[in-house]
Amino acid sequence: MTQDSHEQAREWIASAGVEGLAGLQQAWLRSHLEGCPSCREYAEAAEQLVRSLRAVPVAADRFLVRRTQLRVRARARELRQRRERFALVILSCALVAISSALSTTLVWQGFEWLGRWTQLPNPVWQVGFVLFWIAPTIAASVLFLAHGTHLSGINRSSRG
Amino acid sequence: MNATACYFVTGMEQENGEIARGLRRRDADLLDRLIEQYQHRLLRYLIYLAGNRETAEDLFQETWLRVLERGGQYDGKHNFSTWLFAVARNLTIDVLRKKKPVSLDTAGTEGAEAWDIPATGQASAFDLVAEQAQSERVTRALYGIPSEYREALVLRFHEELSLNEIAAITRVPLGTVKSRIYRGLNILMPRLKGAGE
Repeated sequence: MTQDSHEQAREWIASAGVEGLAGLQQAWLRSHLEGCPSCREYAEAAEQLVRSLRAVPVAADRFLVRRTQLRVRARARELRQRRERFALVILSCALVAISSALSTTLVWQGFEWLGRWTQLPNPVWQVGFVLFWIAPTIAASVLFLAHGTHLSGINRSSRG
Repeated sequence: MNATACYFVTGMEQENGEIARGLRRRDADLLDRLIEQYQHRLLRYLIYLAGNRETAEDLFQETWLRVLERGGQYDGKHNFSTWLFAVARNLTIDVLRKKKPVSLDTAGTEGAEAWDIPATGQASAFDLVAEQAQSERVTRALYGIPSEYREALVLRFHEELSLNEIAAITRVPLGTVKSRIYRGLNILMPRLKGAGE
């Protein structure tokens, strides 16, 4: 027997345990093992190893499973609430955009009339219009920012 | 494909499709069932990957949270277990990288003794002791080999995954998976020679 045939046999012994062998390969390996004690020993060791690997028991305890299930449920609830809040924000934005589009002309005409009635120069009532228009946005942004800071503070303290 | 195999494959596809739809809906009941179903397999994989049970238990919980958050990415065309193991693997790599600037390659060389391996089944005290001793030998030997070989061996022989599934999880070519398993076996064999005798 040549060195190559032993190497071939050992390669196929490993293959047999990992992905299986074709019929001809199996027949060749069987006949080789019959005449080669060292490869036979190798094959037995390989088989023993695979058996040992399969026999190692590891089990999760039920507290870990329960804890995980509770965390997953809590997170799912949190994500659902976040999605609902997001949907509400989108809806609000859409409503605001529509009402803005509809009311801009009317409010502009109102400011124009007010400017004429109080005899203010045009730039003054126009600046007033712009301020009136962006004031709610600025107020909302400040509130959102404050709210975000407040929330992140709570999150930090709850994690700590 | 014969009728039985066809029936089996169709059943698997249906089940995977249902899981995919449930994950997209973030169905908490489905996730409860999946956690129950895959608890032992996932924890075992994570223990071998992370190197100790404590980290593995944290990763176990984080993996399911990630499954919940990214469930929409599961397409239902592949086995759920393959996707689950890939999620767990990526998370483990992220966590280990954050803990210390190393890859998976150095994980798992500590804490092999910290295992809590419960005995299963009905057996005599002698059998239990012998079984536990054998398990510890195998575990120690596994921790002594490079992690990429250990991972391939665990996925193949513990989880009974196909070579293609292992390639999908570890994102390496099929040939690399095979060679990792062969090399892993070859390194382990002399270390476990006589194990179980």
